[in-house]
Amino acid sequence: MPELSIVLAGLADAFTLTNLFFVAMGVILGQFVGAVPGIGPVMAMAIAIPFTFGLDTLVAVGFLMGVNKGGLVGGAIPAILMNTPGTPDAAATALDGYPLAKRGKPLKATKMALFSSVTGDTFSDIVLITVSAPLAVLALRMGPVEVLALIILAFCVIAGLVGNSLSKGIIAAALGMLAATVGTDPQHATPRFYFGFFEIYDGLPLASVAIGMLAIAEILRRMADNAGLMKAGIEIAPDGDPADQRVTWAEYWACRYTLLRGTLIGTALGALPGIGSTAAAFMSYAGARQASQDPDSFGKGNLHGIAASESANSAVMGANLIPLLTLGIPGSVGAALIISAFMIHGIQPGPLLFEKQGQLIYGLFGAMIIANVLNLIVGQIGMRFWIKVVSAPESIIFPTALLLCFVGVSLASGGIFGIAIMLIFAVLGYVMNAFGFSVVIFIIAFFLGPRLEESLSQTLALLNGDVTALMHYPIAFVLIVLAGVTLFMINRKSRREARGKLPS
Amino acid sequence: MTNPTDRLSGLFFVLFGMILFFYLIPTQVETVEYGAIRPKTMPQILAVIIGIFGAMLMIKPADGSDLQKMPWIKSTLIVGILAAGLWLISHFGFEIIVAPLALILMLVMGERRPLWIGIGVIGMPALIWFAVTLLLQRPLP
Repeated sequence: MPELSIVLAGLADAFTLTNLFFVAMGVILGQFVGAVPGIGPVMAMAIAIPFTFGLDTLVAVGFLMGVNKGGLVGGAIPAILMNTPGTPDAAATALDGYPLAKRGKPLKATKMALFSSVTGDTFSDIVLITVSAPLAVLALRMGPVEVLALIILAFCVIAGLVGNSLSKGIIAAALGMLAATVGTDPQHATPRFYFGFFEIYDGLPLASVAIGMLAIAEILRRMADNAGLMKAGIEIAPDGDPADQRVTWAEYWACRYTLLRGTLIGTALGALPGIGSTAAAFMSYAGARQASQDPDSFGKGNLHGIAASESANSAVMGANLIPLLTLGIPGSVGAALIISAFMIHGIQPGPLLFEKQGQLIYGLFGAMIIANVLNLIVGQIGMRFWIKVVSAPESIIFPTALLLCFVGVSLASGGIFGIAIMLIFAVLGYVMNAFGFSVVIFIIAFFLGPRLEESLSQTLALLNGDVTALMHYPIAFVLIVLAGVTLFMINRKSRREARGKLPS
Repeated sequence: MTNPTDRLSGLFFVLFGMILFFYLIPTQVETVEYGAIRPKTMPQILAVIIGIFGAMLMIKPADGSDLQKMPWIKSTLIVGILAAGLWLISHFGFEIIVAPLALILMLVMGERRPLWIGIGVIGMPALIWFAVTLLLQRPLP
């Protein structure tokens, strides 16, 4: 247990004016860049690190935390207002956020995203602060077999999103995994499907694929659909009900179980290196839909859909720091950047960090809580600003969004080639939408594909072809059983729904 | 009710799965004869899955595709403009091409008001340049 004096001294460090100022700047910058497709919080952190050289360690890391947390909130803005998620994890938010915004309730949708994001983030921060050490030990027990079982569970939960055609859902998932096989194979490092383009030797850039299929494809459709009418990017009725522009306590409280489920999924997946917020957001969304009394309302502007997605993807952020601070293992690219910031300032993350730098760590925890509060305040103002921006004519919004995607993807994937890939996948996304194949399933499979293949090959090597050896991995066994139960429940529910739709 | 679109897309995926299995994988994946999973194992599994479920889609088509509703001609035109714009950016740079590209896209969308065209063609590219080059100190494409 740390001494109380160290905890209090750390928290006092966090509440200095300089620290408050830089955390606030980080949150503002994060919310701004998070709203720009392609740039996102990770890119913003990478750019911001050199600017933190001259700052104190706590101020520097607090600033980067602010950027990361602000980016999580900012990422939901284009997803909700324009149906153009800038990051794959925000795609789940767009499923219900955009329909709600289209119904003239953009502020309600963005505020629900903000509240859910801050709720998830704060919960995972509390978990980090209180029980990070035992969770890290548990996370360490997650070897390849357990990770494979977890990915299988993730696929089974997400299967609930497949829609009305199982064949189309499976084809979309197979195509996503096929796209993920481009580049070097994880076991032998031999090239696959690179067609002489050495730029894709490391695989197709996630930013290009995700933004192309999710954002550009949607912009293309809406640009082509506009038929010369100069309407606003988003319509808000001037005489609308004021209740449509806010989230009431009753509405928030009604989502409490969805929020709790989302934060638990996000925290659990965040504590494991490499699974990421995209899987968490979609697992939470699929879970909320399956648990709902009215699953048909999902995809049509259900607040639970926004709450599920945002609470889960934001909860990943705090939990990502659990293996980082306790073991020195970064759980994500964002966490790896935080490690680099620590190391630039001469601090080595790892098991001795709490012992040697206790005051700094509790200062960091204080900065994280401050960032959450500031996220809420800045978000309330920022959401209104973005809604005003998106209320400009579509003829200016969409070309600008396209150019921003060009710039963002170029920065994220290293140049023109990344933009070309983005355009190719935009066309693919457009065609898939037209033929009724789920782009979202494609993206999830693309994201989880390499992890599945890698952990599958490691698992086969570990089990030596003997499936009964799975009994020696109790966590994996439980996860596989859970996956089976999930599939059974989805199947039972869809049969019931099908029976309900039959004419009497 | 039968859905010819789904039957056709099912047929496409059957053919795609076969081309993938018999042509693309043998020519585009290096052969390795050791390891629990070989480089071609996963693509082969996926090719089989795509083929089988493509066939299932042909036999049992789903209802619901937006094929008829999609504005294909205008979308193709916009993709063509973007591809040409990208090619020009790679030769002349983003700063030079961005304004005419934004102008063409706005005109295609039907915008004719000088003020909005001015904002879109001069204001927004200037803002992007300011944010990326000056504020973030990163190069434009």
